[in-house]
Amino acid sequence: MQKQKYTFLDRLIIPDYDTPRGVSSGNLIFDKAKCRECGVCVTLCPGGCLITDKVTKMDLLTGKVKGGKYGLPRVDKTKRGATLCIACYDCGAACPHDAIRIETHFNPKRHFKRLTQTSEMIFPKRY
Amino acid sequence: MNVKTSSLSPLGVYHEGMEWNAVEKVIYERRSIRGFKKEPLSDGMIRRILESGRFSPSAGNMQPWRFIVIKSPEMLAELEKDAVKMAKFFMFFIDYTRGGAIRRLLTKQLAKLSIRFMPNELHVVPFALLSQIAQGKTKVFHGAPTLILLVEDKRGVSCPATDIGICGQNMVLTAHSLGAGTCWIGLIKLCMYYPKWRKKFGIKYPYALNNCLAVGWQKPKADGPVPREAQIVEWYDRGLHDAPRTEKQGG
Repeated sequence: MQKQKYTFLDRLIIPDYDTPRGVSSGNLIFDKAKCRECGVCVTLCPGGCLITDKVTKMDLLTGKVKGGKYGLPRVDKTKRGATLCIACYDCGAACPHDAIRIETHFNPKRHFKRLTQTSEMIFPKRY
Repeated sequence: MNVKTSSLSPLGVYHEGMEWNAVEKVIYERRSIRGFKKEPLSDGMIRRILESGRFSPSAGNMQPWRFIVIKSPEMLAELEKDAVKMAKFFMFFIDYTRGGAIRRLLTKQLAKLSIRFMPNELHVVPFALLSQIAQGKTKVFHGAPTLILLVEDKRGVSCPATDIGICGQNMVLTAHSLGAGTCWIGLIKLCMYYPKWRKKFGIKYPYALNNCLAVGWQKPKADGPVPREAQIVEWYDRGLHDAPRTEKQGG
């Protein structure tokens, strides 16, 4: 197990922020069977990048929509295919129905690449 | 998923694999809270939180901090409005993730040049956040009823920014242990581009304002444990010239 190398070329190249080539961003899996479409995760998402087909974060915050089912959430993507998820998993911690699973971690590439973090996402371990 | 208070380990002991103690519970279950109730915490509670900041460790006991509590709803609304305005201004020039191909061609070069001068402020994460704010998809201060500004005294010993971090973390953990919610917000920097706010808060030498805490009651309750990347740690536990042993922390 070694830490990632950070070469001079890495240092020079600033990655594109909105393509999968430039950032490998987080992705979330929503369990259709467990999700009750309550909208908690959508309200909490730091960047407002969780949306459903019916509502966005701002709709919920400004009270534009009230009550009912908001639809199954999904992660918003940029036009060029990167998600805006930073893998903070605040949504999963808050989900009252335990319906969210995180798939990948967040790692921008090249200049900003992470060097000592591995891609495994692990819950706090009681050593 | 949250650990029940009844099953916690006592403070001051350790044996392998034991349950979290009360302090660890607060540390692992603390989440950055971005949804708040409208009513603020009581003044007493805010004072209790500030008190843990006052008793933070700092280099040379210089306590290079100054706290400003903002509860005025009009002022909070004005700060939010101005921060959004500034985000829109910057993103007009450098957000290449929106618009057509020609816009992308022009703005991308400017963005990449700016990133070299401001690598922390224009890192991927704040860049995407600023873009979302400019598009009106999220808020800057998350509608928090109280802001605690952490003003840094640049004349502190060694690295005053570290002291501010320690001080803030003390306050955050205290707040969460009391059942409240907090979120670090670095985007208060956006307001510091306005002379009027700098003047109002007295942000001139020796002071700098880079961070603030949004404080309030959590709505919805969002504290809970999350998974994080396993980390490679180097252990130097053999001879002086031996290579370090690497270990995966968490895995």
